Amino acid sequence: MFNDSSRQEPALSGQGRFLASVVDRGGKATLLLQEQPSGRIVPLRHFQNHQPHSSPSLSWNGRYVAALVQQGNQRMALIEDRASGNLHRLPLPADRTAVRLSLSPEARQLAVQVAQGGQWRVQLFDLRSLLEPDLPGGIAIQGGGAAPSP
Amino acid sequence: MRSLLPTTAITALLLGGCLAPMPQPIAPLNSRLEALGANRDPALAGRWLALISGRGGREQVLLLDLERQQPVALPGLNRADAQPVSVSVDAAGERIALVRQLDGRTELVLYRRSVQSLQPIPMAPSGVARQVQLQADGRQLAVQVSRGGLWQVDLVQIP
Repeated sequence: MFNDSSRQEPALSGQGRFLASVVDRGGKATLLLQEQPSGRIVPLRHFQNHQPHSSPSLSWNGRYVAALVQQGNQRMALIEDRASGNLHRLPLPADRTAVRLSLSPEARQLAVQVAQGGQWRVQLFDLRSLLEPDLPGGIAIQGGGAAPSP
Repeated sequence: MRSLLPTTAITALLLGGCLAPMPQPIAPLNSRLEALGANRDPALAGRWLALISGRGGREQVLLLDLERQQPVALPGLNRADAQPVSVSVDAAGERIALVRQLDGRTELVLYRRSVQSLQPIPMAPSGVARQVQLQADGRQLAVQVSRGGLWQVDLVQIP
């Protein structure tokens, strides 16, 4: 169970239906997605491991959940598609460490803050060939998402 | 009869069919960002990118119009004696939420671009704001607040 006495890095979906934040779960900083205002926990398929998680970000209707995770000795951006169950990874060159990210609500771009050569930089990535847009007025995804497509 | 396709071409075709598309860096905008110097705390919404940008040892809030690839003016938002901590923008590019340090205090403010107004948002109960995110429709913000040695999250409706 998670310890919600300490909660960090909040991120709301476009109309506030979902809240993502980072909480302590068994000593590990773990992404938590909740429906508002009930607080009901929404299960995530791909954010069970690879802690610490940080910098969550949601699309308009909460279809896409993006965050930084730890894989080996590298921070990596992941985007979970709750509609399809698919997972998208954004590897970065080895000389850059991802620190923070922001997914555009429409899921068209991803901004990543990296540390490179002792300086903060922000880099933008085009997601349009990767993700369907999640536009205002779309349907909120209710459950934990479908099984991943093959 | 031997295939006319070289083995390498067949391998490339097979691999190409299996490889998932990758996010592509947006080269012109990344060059523009590079030219601005050190940047941190990006927040995307609609055609807008808000971030904290430092030049000459001083940091300020920038709002970039991604379609025109230009920063837009934010009169009355940045102050020479204030240190921005966290920033977020709505999808209309109208509202900017900002945590900043000023005169030894940390404050949360809401800037409305069309009227160039700056409105303080009090923490109730009192606490020290650290990180803010404005939901894309601009009607609510979530802020990470330090209270009694714990991090908490407040949701604040915006009239």
